[in-house]
Amino acid sequence: MSGHRIRAITRRLLQGFRRDHRTLALLFVAPIVILGLLGYLLRGSSSAPLVGIANEDTGPLGAIVADALRHSSRIKSTDISAADGDARLKDGSLVGYIVLPSNFSQQAQSGSVVPQVHLEGSQPGEDAPVMQALQQAMISLASQVAGRSVNFQPQVTYLYGGRNYDTLDYFGAAFIGLVVFFLVFVITIVSFLNERTQGTLERLMASPLRRGEIVVGYMLGFTALALIQSIEVLVFALAVLRIHNQGNVFLIFGMEALMAIAAVNLGIFLSMFARSEFQAVQFIPLVVVPQVLLSGIIFPVSTEPTILQWLSDVLPLTYAVDGMRDIMVKGADLTSPPLLLDAGVVAGFCVLLIAAGTATLRRRLG
Amino acid sequence: MSETYAVDIQDVSKSFGAYKALNGVTLRVRRGEIYGLLGPNGAGKTTLIRLICGLLEASAGTVTMLGQRMPNVAVLRQVGYMTQQAALYPGLSVEENVAFFAAINGADAGIKAALELVQLYDRRKSVVATLSGGMRQRCSLACALVHRPELLLLDEPTVGIDPQLRVQFWESFRRMAAGGTTIIVSSHVMDEADRCQRLGLIQYGRLLAEGTPAEIRSQGGSQNLEEAFLALAGRKDS
Repeated sequence: MSGHRIRAITRRLLQGFRRDHRTLALLFVAPIVILGLLGYLLRGSSSAPLVGIANEDTGPLGAIVADALRHSSRIKSTDISAADGDARLKDGSLVGYIVLPSNFSQQAQSGSVVPQVHLEGSQPGEDAPVMQALQQAMISLASQVAGRSVNFQPQVTYLYGGRNYDTLDYFGAAFIGLVVFFLVFVITIVSFLNERTQGTLERLMASPLRRGEIVVGYMLGFTALALIQSIEVLVFALAVLRIHNQGNVFLIFGMEALMAIAAVNLGIFLSMFARSEFQAVQFIPLVVVPQVLLSGIIFPVSTEPTILQWLSDVLPLTYAVDGMRDIMVKGADLTSPPLLLDAGVVAGFCVLLIAAGTATLRRRLG
Repeated sequence: MSETYAVDIQDVSKSFGAYKALNGVTLRVRRGEIYGLLGPNGAGKTTLIRLICGLLEASAGTVTMLGQRMPNVAVLRQVGYMTQQAALYPGLSVEENVAFFAAINGADAGIKAALELVQLYDRRKSVVATLSGGMRQRCSLACALVHRPELLLLDEPTVGIDPQLRVQFWESFRRMAAGGTTIIVSSHVMDEADRCQRLGLIQYGRLLAEGTPAEIRSQGGSQNLEEAFLALAGRKDS
């Protein structure tokens, strides 16, 4: 071991970074951005879900429970009528609603209450604060019913999913799309950059090929690969992992295909801004991490701080993830306006990225 | 006028930021001629070739190729361009590379002839990544001429090629020129200059001298082309 030679290697390495400002920025700026985003997302989020309360009790005790629920710190509540409940779950304005039946006071006096809990159910974990708030409210009920214990037997129903619906079912729908998007993006950005660094792009530019032909040719080639990958991912997710699916398999595949096309074109577009594979790889955390944090894969967009919601609203993955969940969790089909909106926005991003990729293709030689 | 000239460059300048790569170059290349662009590294030869095939746009002046003002995508079908670095797809075989460049230029025939010309027909199934530097250079040449272009732009085509094959290359160039193909070839190797019908000497982005090898010798006052070039370069420097 020669200290002199080792020092030469270390010095050489640091000298290279000195001129590569982009890499330095990634090393020192990206962690702050990513952690800052995560912190803002977790601390700034309004975490208490909105729950509807329908107190139909003709006696006095329902009002006591309803009041306790209104003052619970675990949920935000709003009074509704039981008839409206399902509609409010479907439009996403409530995560659940609690019905205190007309004979609730009698039930309490007889020692066993059966409140109805209706949950939207597409997001695992969102039912926990609802059940906790209800349990706490039951404690205040117990203090009103002197001399005997009250048995608490909530009747829980789910609009989507169900008792067996687990975390994988929720994340799976999003991850099927994310895996395809991420891998296709990485492969495209590196291969298109190769075209530039190995000099073949210069040759293509000196041929009768038009820029649009290059971009569309690339898109078709990678999309063909991505579609095969999509089929593999889908079969594995549904047949092996048995991820919950209420929707049409062809619709899931269609959504995956749109995500793949978006990823291919994003890769082509961003490759214009990288001079080496090293720089191209740096786009991965910059492009993928914020999208994973902000597109609703892990944290529902509706619980994000308002400013981050604006950011989420312009990310293609937000719509893709929402669309995948609409299909797989809620069983949406082509008659569902939210799904059409999601698919339309992702398709719009594809068109935008094809245009952007074509427009910037000649940049480096000019 | 442009009918007799394959390439007509009039008072062309090209700047990259503050750096002036070409400065007021005027030259004409006749159809069916082998024209040599000579000059040291960084003289502006590659920039000039890129301007001719429309990869770059001139900051000032005009470039006309095969009767068309450049840049013009349609006329590129008639052009074969061999870049300085053997720009090939390393994961494809020799034949697949040549077939690809034939296809994008709208020619499906001629692949075998091109491979035979560069003596790679026997190696046509070899993956390019496994080839030696010289073989890659030959494959790159085959890609440039497979569609039988009217104008062949060769940026230092003989770098890394052994002397025997270099002679064969030049014989092929001569045959193609006799068949009507115009060839513009850049080089910094003076013994290749003698094989060209006319030469343009470039240094610091300017055309120092132009003429047949014999004319250049007499302009530089030396029987040795290299000495003549150095004399002409020194004269402009001072």
